[in-house]
Amino acid sequence: MNASLDGVATPYIRIAGVSRQYGQVRALHDLSIDIAKHEFIAILGPSGSGKSTLLRLIAGLDRPSTGRIFFDGIDVTDLPPYKRGIGMVFQEFLLFPHRTVRENLAFPLRMTNQPQQKILERLDWAEAILSLRGLMDRYPNQLSGGQQQRVALGRGLVTHPTLLLLDEPLANLDRELRNEMEVEIRRYQKQLGIPFVYVTHNQEEALSMSDRVAVINGGRLEALGERQTIYDHPPTPFVARFVGKSTRFDGAYNPATGQIELQHYNYAFPYSGAFERKGDVRAEVFVKNERFQLSPWTAVATGIACTIADIVLRGPFVEYILETEAAERIIAVKPKTSDQAVLGTKLSLSWDPAACHVFPAGR
Amino acid sequence: MADPDNRWNRRLFLHVPAIFLVLFFVLPLIALVILSFWQTENYKIVREWSATNYVTLATEPAYFVFFVRSLFLAIGVSIFSVAVSWPIAFFIVRHGGRYKLILSLLLAVPFLSGEVLRLISLQGMLGPTGLVNGVLLKIGSAPLRFIMYSNWATFIALVYLYLPMVVTTVYLSLLNFDFRLTSAASSCGANRFQVFCEIVWPLNLSGTIVGFLLCFIPTLSASLAPRFLGGPSGVLYGMSIAQQFGESGTWALGAAMGVVLFLFSMAVLGVFSLGIDLRRTGFTGMGRL
Repeated sequence: MNASLDGVATPYIRIAGVSRQYGQVRALHDLSIDIAKHEFIAILGPSGSGKSTLLRLIAGLDRPSTGRIFFDGIDVTDLPPYKRGIGMVFQEFLLFPHRTVRENLAFPLRMTNQPQQKILERLDWAEAILSLRGLMDRYPNQLSGGQQQRVALGRGLVTHPTLLLLDEPLANLDRELRNEMEVEIRRYQKQLGIPFVYVTHNQEEALSMSDRVAVINGGRLEALGERQTIYDHPPTPFVARFVGKSTRFDGAYNPATGQIELQHYNYAFPYSGAFERKGDVRAEVFVKNERFQLSPWTAVATGIACTIADIVLRGPFVEYILETEAAERIIAVKPKTSDQAVLGTKLSLSWDPAACHVFPAGR
Repeated sequence: MADPDNRWNRRLFLHVPAIFLVLFFVLPLIALVILSFWQTENYKIVREWSATNYVTLATEPAYFVFFVRSLFLAIGVSIFSVAVSWPIAFFIVRHGGRYKLILSLLLAVPFLSGEVLRLISLQGMLGPTGLVNGVLLKIGSAPLRFIMYSNWATFIALVYLYLPMVVTTVYLSLLNFDFRLTSAASSCGANRFQVFCEIVWPLNLSGTIVGFLLCFIPTLSASLAPRFLGGPSGVLYGMSIAQQFGESGTWALGAAMGVVLFLFSMAVLGVFSLGIDLRRTGFTGMGRL
């Protein structure tokens, strides 16, 4: 995979062919990512994909089995974490419970031997930017989740780190707070102009905050690119399944008609891409849930026949839970309109051939 | 608690231990205090109120010497035990893996035999014809005199007796310690030494102090270990108390010595519990954060 050359002019952080093996288990396999100085990059993957291992390697909390890591041109592979000048924010916040907010924030400054004047300056800065006024002398257990998260962020940022590593920092917050913090974290990144490496299993978080997304699966880099590109043009079936909400269909390519014919449904659509190997006919088809087209069922309808089993309101969107004749459930997402759809209505489901993702699935 | 069942349960839960404590802890203590203000003459108790025993303790320098000797021994044994316990407990918690529980139970194995038995076996190790000196003599070397019937032998015995207590307390403390905090600290720029001093040690300080006291207080009053392993010189406070209640039959003086010991131990506990801000040891009273 040529991902390391993907659109980064001057790599600030360079991860070059990094692998990590634990006994027989390969947690990471030959992974390369270049990160630019002002970039917010999300490392997205399911649990156990190796994304946290990658973060620990960048932080220096663990060493790669092979490969090198460079910060601003300097090889830091063999440096311990305290010599790397990084900031890190953890999922469980991991504030020091025996220290007040002020002491937690001052900790990285003291550890790096900053003069007293500088410490006070930076504490004021953190207090202001993270709106921690009035909380500085409290202990972590006297803070709400959101406040703890802000202190954790402050502790990561207070020393002007080379980069900030975030390990699922929002996973322990409730939904509303999470959305608020997403905006805030992105704002800090733009303000500070240092790279943020954000590890998450939540594709919504990855898409909403980052400039680029690296998708990791089974210790390998599945995809690396602009978030819009990853979303609109997933390069592998895994990415198509994992990023965004989509529905998967089995189908087969018919070379005679140039169409993909679905397996369980009487539905076919033209396909212009080439199947790589001769004889590959089976195909996996992914359609994003918001890309489905719905129309009333008529005698001449060519789409997949289905009925509305349920309707879920999601603010400005409506989720139609559709039941097909093969007793499969498909979710179609549409903007909310004023006209009421009725449960049990028969519909024809189709999609724009250009809007779906087709992957050869062998014979 | 309006619910009568609940009230009955609460009574049962609180009153049974309360009654037990009053009967077997508070009353004997009061009896001891009363006895310390009486006298003993010719192996008989004379019910005459006076502070003579305390005056004797304050004016007779021997008792002061016994006490200071015991105090230094107890401090030495406790500090040594804590220092040895930390690496052991740390190793078990970090590298014990699935054998963690077994390893920590192994430390309690000596407890499975009686205290006297353990002291006698130690006598076999340290005595003039014991294993250590026996081997030294065999290979033509001079025996180690300082471990034969001396306070050094007592020191070794007391460490042997109470080390499992200290290791277990430190082990339990470390077991509840969130080691991910060390990752957080090193990502903040702390080196290994700083991680230990700033995070690991303070957050396990309360557990360590409990371990220290569990060793310190019984050691301060130790009488069995010095009787088996100590020499004729270097009498310790606990031995002296045992003597008052034994050969010399001066029970009232012994009681006064006991009261002094009790008050001193209480004072030590008080100093530790008042002198330590639990917040600074990460104790929130609400479990782990």
